[in-house]
Amino acid sequence: MSFPENLRYTKTHEWAKQDGKRIRVGITDYAQKEISDVVFAELPKLNQEVEQGKPMAIVESVKAAFDIYAPVSGKVVAVNKGIEANPALINQDCYQQGWLAEIEANKESEWQQLMTTAAYEQHIQQSVK
Amino acid sequence: MNVQTLPLHEEHAALGAKFGTFGVWQVPLYYSSILEEHERVRRRAGLFDVSHMGAYRVEGPKAEYYLDRLITRRLVGVEAGRAVYSPICREDGGILDDIIVYKVRSDRFWVIVNAANAAKDYEWLHSHLEDGVKLSDLSREMGLLALQGPASVPIAARVLGHDFFKLGNYRFQEWQGGIVARTGYTGEIGLEILLPHKEIARWWAALIKGGKQDGLIPVGFAARDTLRLEAGMLLYGQDMDEEVDPFAAGIGWTVDLKKNAFVGKEAILKRRQNSKRQLVGIEVVDRGIPRHGCEIYRNQKKIGAVTSGSFSPTLKKNIALGYVTIENAEIGTEVEISLRDRFLKALVVKLPFYRSSQGV
Repeated sequence: MSFPENLRYTKTHEWAKQDGKRIRVGITDYAQKEISDVVFAELPKLNQEVEQGKPMAIVESVKAAFDIYAPVSGKVVAVNKGIEANPALINQDCYQQGWLAEIEANKESEWQQLMTTAAYEQHIQQSVK
Repeated sequence: MNVQTLPLHEEHAALGAKFGTFGVWQVPLYYSSILEEHERVRRRAGLFDVSHMGAYRVEGPKAEYYLDRLITRRLVGVEAGRAVYSPICREDGGILDDIIVYKVRSDRFWVIVNAANAAKDYEWLHSHLEDGVKLSDLSREMGLLALQGPASVPIAARVLGHDFFKLGNYRFQEWQGGIVARTGYTGEIGLEILLPHKEIARWWAALIKGGKQDGLIPVGFAARDTLRLEAGMLLYGQDMDEEVDPFAAGIGWTVDLKKNAFVGKEAILKRRQNSKRQLVGIEVVDRGIPRHGCEIYRNQKKIGAVTSGSFSPTLKKNIALGYVTIENAEIGTEVEISLRDRFLKALVVKLPFYRSSQGV
């Protein structure tokens, strides 16, 4: 499993990538493996307000539906239409083509609360135990 | 809850299985990918360990009449070597379980039942025992493998060393202290192999190894569920239970009304005439996967609920089984499924959703 150093992570296994105020969001390699084959994704609507730690999207495997939580609060400014047509991209390429949405963050401090790669790796090891 | 593991648990772990629970059983959900395993069974072959299921032996001069009185289908007069799928019903017509009875001879039968119902079924069978019938619970001694998919034919011939496909559908023969039957829960041709625990590891290994060249892979319970759903087969405890009778559950064909008395007969007949709801197949038109418990509406009025729902890997559509009020059960009826904060457009469709070209 890989967890790129340029990203930040949540306890609920989302990744976040910062580009100015825009935060791109997806699920981690660990999450996509746990969920297994993704067959459906329900993305937030453009301009929808999301709140840190609250559900913003749903990813479904053959077996079940999983809530995806917003890593930061703000307004949804982009969604990845590509994965509505081909949800398997979330499994195949979770950090690039499998991104879910972009949020225009409205609280700078929230980014600082997210985990670094090292902290997230430790978090996973603990949750596996 | 006392979690139980399958006799081949270590083998599954070695194959990289991701485990989950099914009732009290810890079972492999999948090994590689649910979608891949599903597709492999449709196109090539898959091997399942379904040793959680209950297995009883019923013997004695009165065994045939005894079982015939408990199941809704006819057993008396059926030729030896036949496997008979049938519900067993309570006096009030509610389905206690759906089982398969294997007739070895008129005084010797195997009965395979759903794992979750095994204790309840045994109690039921036991409470109806009569002189001249011996009932043995061999669930702890027997395991069950399912070899399913079109490539099962060459694999069985090569690995098991016998052409079991000479047997017709729902026929079986005794083998290695158990039986091999032309049955399954996937909608593909295949075999179910009941074996004593001491034999099962060796045949599992032989099939995994020897089936590889024909594309066989181990398949977990997740794909088993999507395969059976596409084939329109019901899961007890989800698509039917003690509240419904065989007609409401869409398996009225298993009720032999010409048969003399059997447990539940009068009640089933009465319920059939006053039937209020019916199990139907549903195909979703809008985007969204219906799940167990989603309510079904028509013209803003609640008419039922989904009992099983999934993405169909073969059809690439979202499908469901569910109960609706009888007047809304007709094929082509437009319904809506409540999912989270929306309503999904859906249609009542004919079952099964998928039928193998090999005529299973």
